[in-house]
Amino acid sequence: MITKKIIYNLLKKRVLILDGATGTQLQKIGMPAGVCPEKWCVENSDAISSIHKAYANAGSDIIYTATFGANRLKLNEYGIKDVAGINRKLAAIAKKSAARENVFVAGDIGPTGKFVAPFGDLPFEEAVDIFKEQVRGLLKGGVDLFVIETMMDIQEARAALLAVKETCDKFVMVSLTYEKDGRTLAGTDPLTALITLQSLGADAVGLNCSTGPREMLDAVSRIRPYAKIFLFAKPNAGLPRLKDGKTVFDMDVRQFASCGAALVRAGANMLGGCCGTDPEYIKNLVRVVKSKKPFLPLRKSISALSSGRGNIIFGRDEPFCVVGECINPTGKKDFAKELAEGKFDILRRLARDQQAAGAKVLDVNVGAGGIDEVKAMREALSVLSLATELPLAIDSSKVEVIAQALRLYPGRALINSISAEKDKLSRLLPLAAKYGAMFILLPLTSSKIPYEFSERKKIASAVLAKALKYGFTKDDIVVDGLAMTVSSKPHAGIETLKTIGWASGELGCQTIIGLSNVSFGLPKRQWLNAAYLAMAAREGLSMAIANPLNAELMNAVRSADVLLVRDVRASEYIKHFTVPPAGDKKNTDEVFSPGQRIKDAILEGEKREIKDFIALALDKKISAQNILNDIMIPAITEVGRRFETKHYFLPQLIAGAEAMKEGLNYLEPILAKQGGGPREKVNIILATVKGDIHDIGKNIVALILKNHGFNVIDLGKDAGAQKIVARAKKMDASLIGLSALMTTTMVNMKEVIDLAKKEGLSCKVIIGGAVVTKAYADSLGVSYAKDGVEAVRVIKGLMNSK
Amino acid sequence: MKGPMFFDSIAVAVDKERICRRLGYEKGATRLSETQEREAGRRIDEAFSLIQLKGSALILGLNECGRGKVVLENGIVFESADLSAMLKECGQVLLMGATAGSRIIPYIRGEAAKGDLSRAVIYDAAASEIVDSALDWLVSYFNQKLLRENKRVTPNRFSCGYGDFSLINQRKIHAALELEKIGVKITDSCILDPEKSVTAVAGIVSAAD
Repeated sequence: MITKKIIYNLLKKRVLILDGATGTQLQKIGMPAGVCPEKWCVENSDAISSIHKAYANAGSDIIYTATFGANRLKLNEYGIKDVAGINRKLAAIAKKSAARENVFVAGDIGPTGKFVAPFGDLPFEEAVDIFKEQVRGLLKGGVDLFVIETMMDIQEARAALLAVKETCDKFVMVSLTYEKDGRTLAGTDPLTALITLQSLGADAVGLNCSTGPREMLDAVSRIRPYAKIFLFAKPNAGLPRLKDGKTVFDMDVRQFASCGAALVRAGANMLGGCCGTDPEYIKNLVRVVKSKKPFLPLRKSISALSSGRGNIIFGRDEPFCVVGECINPTGKKDFAKELAEGKFDILRRLARDQQAAGAKVLDVNVGAGGIDEVKAMREALSVLSLATELPLAIDSSKVEVIAQALRLYPGRALINSISAEKDKLSRLLPLAAKYGAMFILLPLTSSKIPYEFSERKKIASAVLAKALKYGFTKDDIVVDGLAMTVSSKPHAGIETLKTIGWASGELGCQTIIGLSNVSFGLPKRQWLNAAYLAMAAREGLSMAIANPLNAELMNAVRSADVLLVRDVRASEYIKHFTVPPAGDKKNTDEVFSPGQRIKDAILEGEKREIKDFIALALDKKISAQNILNDIMIPAITEVGRRFETKHYFLPQLIAGAEAMKEGLNYLEPILAKQGGGPREKVNIILATVKGDIHDIGKNIVALILKNHGFNVIDLGKDAGAQKIVARAKKMDASLIGLSALMTTTMVNMKEVIDLAKKEGLSCKVIIGGAVVTKAYADSLGVSYAKDGVEAVRVIKGLMNSK
Repeated sequence: MKGPMFFDSIAVAVDKERICRRLGYEKGATRLSETQEREAGRRIDEAFSLIQLKGSALILGLNECGRGKVVLENGIVFESADLSAMLKECGQVLLMGATAGSRIIPYIRGEAAKGDLSRAVIYDAAASEIVDSALDWLVSYFNQKLLRENKRVTPNRFSCGYGDFSLINQRKIHAALELEKIGVKITDSCILDPEKSVTAVAGIVSAAD
């Protein structure tokens, strides 16, 4: 029997060669389009056998069974029910074909084609069950190891890996397929996948398909420093592209092989080929890499967490990590109510705000009265897996909540927490070990929260000793310094610092504290928290459970990182403290005249203060008419000019127009009082035509026209010809403006124009919108404007010529 | 009859520059203050947090294609010279639909109603761009699947309401993709609801074609 040990030993000696493409080879030897490849292979065993043999003869050490799509969901599409039977037969064919000594057969498990919850609608346990069925069949056929390949959903890869591990103890390789942007379609990057899968027990992690070897080179180099397991790559023969309606790959045999050598230098322990490759590619690969010495994994352990789409690495030189504490319903009535009702808007917001404030991990606690905590945790993890890429800390006092969370969480989680409480310890340690989670070691027992460092050290050491027996390393453990309030025990802060110093130094674990405990009962707690964090960081504290929305705290974190050389070029510090130049503005405000400030408010789209500036100008005896004609209108015209010359983009144009509108609202009653009278109003009817619901562009045009003194009657979207023409008639409109986004709705403009003519209206018509062109407007005999700024110019021209 | 494949959660990265370009941003020409850049970034992030991309897709054989007419294996007929020209080398078509969901819509309308059009326009552009990138995602997904069959999805795709591909076809695509199942309705005038929903037709070419 081929054990893991045999494969490990081989991998220590040399680079193992995998096989090349199977699907495209099957097509070459006559597999018709549209058939079930697995069934066809069973019925044409000589054909698939010849491919296996060709790869074995080319030098492959490991060949994959032709079972890529042999799972229940895919086989059912062809009406095949005997999933285990197909897998068994195809495994047996591969075994027979690989009769040469030292050619191993890997049971190939491909994706189901569905995304697994939380990223899709296939329930996680169903996915595990589907893969177990396939694993059992492959085992019966005699496979030597397993390969889970071409996964684009990390959760599906987890389900398949658990299926293998819960069925047998074979060597398991897992490879995901990454797009050109370096992520899977579900958003996972190679390092995140490595952290998740190696902690869950994969023996080798790699990349296959989608891209060529050049693209994979960078990924292998980047993940190697963090790998404690073997790495492999099975690239396509370059990048696929369409040439004369055919898929071609841009790399020949020689180029492919030379990239193979580079991949070995980058750290790949196993190499093969995917789409576009054939036995010739493999033969050349063997020739080039056979003399290369393999690099062994660099690590035995790693302190790292991951989510489905991101990761964090811990270490003495890594930046301090704030674990956001806000996802906790204790004391938050609205949040507790939402959780109980199965709503998650507040949860999403808490995640988003903490991430934006600089949290690197989010603590998730959903325990409160009236909440089914297992269900709430399951749902919260689903929501958070989509809402944030930050890794999560599972915070619960209930073992069953943690058990569910660890099974379903699509990454490597941090358990908050495991203490020396006997019952929980014996249940939680094996759970954490099975799923490869990191955990917070809380140095307390069921009967005692120790105050002195010496007691904490004793308890922590005892828990650590037990954890090591389960295969944990010190890198997997985060010791809690047990922060207590200094208002009741003045030396509590010192005892905690001693615990942190010992755990991070002598013991060599990561460390954490619940920061705000230290300041409980005292005023202005943020300063105590910030000061204590800086001290604890000096003792080696890796992370703190705290509120990242607290500015003082985050300022202290950024400062401590610079001072403790965790932010070497102070780049994070500089980024954190680079604030909008509000302070500068205050100084310059003093030297600017009120007129300049009004102008700047419009140019900068700053509507909050424009009224004050106008009031200031009026105080300085500038007339309302002058403010309008000499300051505001030139300013909004300048905004339009900047937009037309691309110096401004649309939000700047709108912000300027909104500031202008705010100013006009304030100024117009004063204009009337000062005897200038309201500006002469030209009535304009604006509408998005029938069948079209896109009205944001039309709204912008309306705003800009109003800025320029036009009286705009906005009829909204999906407006019929009758309605538009009737209103134009009633308001004695000088102009009708029509908007449409789609070619199919712009034809409705003609209907309005024809009806207006029929009704004898003398008003002009102007049209615009995404697909509307000047040529189209000309064909209808009306005017055209591409945007609001041009509309002002065109309409003014039309009104002047009238 | 083949049914569509549903995607409950489509993960796309937010391409802020692409969203800003949709809003008229031009690298090297447009000057944004740090505050404006931050503000735009924040609004895009807000929009993103209000969007849950879902999709549906269906591969169908192409029974007939030419002279402005496209007939699919399930009997759907599209009358469009532009579409039939795009599909002329193809053996199959990929029908796709995606939605940003309904949560973003009240925010776009609400901000516009409150008079904060600049925020509304960023939400709007972000939602449009993000839902469009869901179609890119679907194309990548099917390209990945089809690679083993030596097939590719055509780089171009066509949506109803553009060129001569009438909006009326939206109803056929909506039904074929069973878009109701991902919360997308269609109005009498063939507009998708929620508004930030899109459909498209692309071709699939293979070595055999």
